[in-house]
Amino acid sequence: MTTVLLLLLLAVGAYLVAVLEDWTVSGRFRLTAPVLAGIALLGRESIVPRKPDRIFFEVAPFLLLISAILAAAVVPLTPDLIITDMATGALFINAALVYVLVALLMAGWGPDGAYAMIGGWRFLGQLIAYAMLIVMPITAVVMRAESLLTTQVVVSQAGVWNIIYQPLGFILFFIAAMALAFLPPFDLTTSKGELAGGVEAEYAGVRLAVFRLGRLALIITLAAATVIFYLGGWQGPLLPPWAWSTIKILAVTTIMLLAGRYMPRIREADLLAWCWMLGIPLALLNILLVGVLVLVFP
Amino acid sequence: MSMLEQYGLLLGLIVGTVGFVLSLFVLARIVGKTRQEPGKDVPATAGQLSRDPVWVRYHARYYGYALLFLAFDMEMAYMYPWAVVYKQVGLVALLDMGVFLAILFLGLLYGWSQGALRRQ
Repeated sequence: MTTVLLLLLLAVGAYLVAVLEDWTVSGRFRLTAPVLAGIALLGRESIVPRKPDRIFFEVAPFLLLISAILAAAVVPLTPDLIITDMATGALFINAALVYVLVALLMAGWGPDGAYAMIGGWRFLGQLIAYAMLIVMPITAVVMRAESLLTTQVVVSQAGVWNIIYQPLGFILFFIAAMALAFLPPFDLTTSKGELAGGVEAEYAGVRLAVFRLGRLALIITLAAATVIFYLGGWQGPLLPPWAWSTIKILAVTTIMLLAGRYMPRIREADLLAWCWMLGIPLALLNILLVGVLVLVFP
Repeated sequence: MSMLEQYGLLLGLIVGTVGFVLSLFVLARIVGKTRQEPGKDVPATAGQLSRDPVWVRYHARYYGYALLFLAFDMEMAYMYPWAVVYKQVGLVALLDMGVFLAILFLGLLYGWSQGALRRQ
């Protein structure tokens, strides 16, 4: 029952992401636009390129959606509203989200098209940049919570939210989450301008619809993960827990979508340099700082 | 829920997602069929087949980072269990992992000094 409810909420969340993204791009708030776009995509022909690696080509959209849904399964909205509260929850989010890379590489390799291929390889470079900045801040969060249970992570923030306790970790995780969801300014893997859509280039019709749905689910899942790791999850005064979760997740999503619109796009080579020369030293410093803080103020 | 039930539920989610996507495919098939027409299946390369094969060896110009990434990724496997018991063990845990991370960080600095952190 909870599972069905949460999957419905995930679908609603993905829909709202589509509306918000449309709003940040076009400046118009159209609640019906994603429905129309979805119907249009279902009605279009889904062409398969002439010599594809058929298995990779077909599996990639499935895998993107599955990885987003599996990650969402361990994210709690209230203490009880969670699909499965795994003992390894915080680690499981990482494990599930790594398959985003696999899906995008398969989508790049599969269709045997030059643009898709370049897009896929770009994302591999992007993974090497952002991956450490996802796992290292989460380690610092787990150190404070003393547990990998995602619900326990939220409970550990009862006094002070992690965004205040470890602001450095929050900034790194937020940027890495945007890179993981290939949102602008890290969207060179699906860039419209010079790759004709990158890994999306060879997909059309229903396959593209599934691919885009997976991306939307990924964005809302990452926003929810940011909320439970850093913004105190369901905690807050006056309003009930579910309301706080909703407000925070939608706020984080909006910031994620808006932030990239006002920045130049970052090539994967530059992102690698920034992440390894600045990001990872900062992430290690964050672990050290939190380590001292946890011992001094238990 | 027991561990096994939790993994069963996750497996169920995977199967359910596959079923959902397949039902979307069926829906699209009911709406209309893809017509086979010449030239339609050319990959998006300005309407012509690309001159060179696409599946070639690709120069991963970030291989220096990739090697460092392997080292750091292995290290993270040790970090998670350490992070869970960190508060119980206390200062000893901080020092233990501090030495480990310091060595790893020195490795990063060494790689940096040798020019691993650039597009080759």
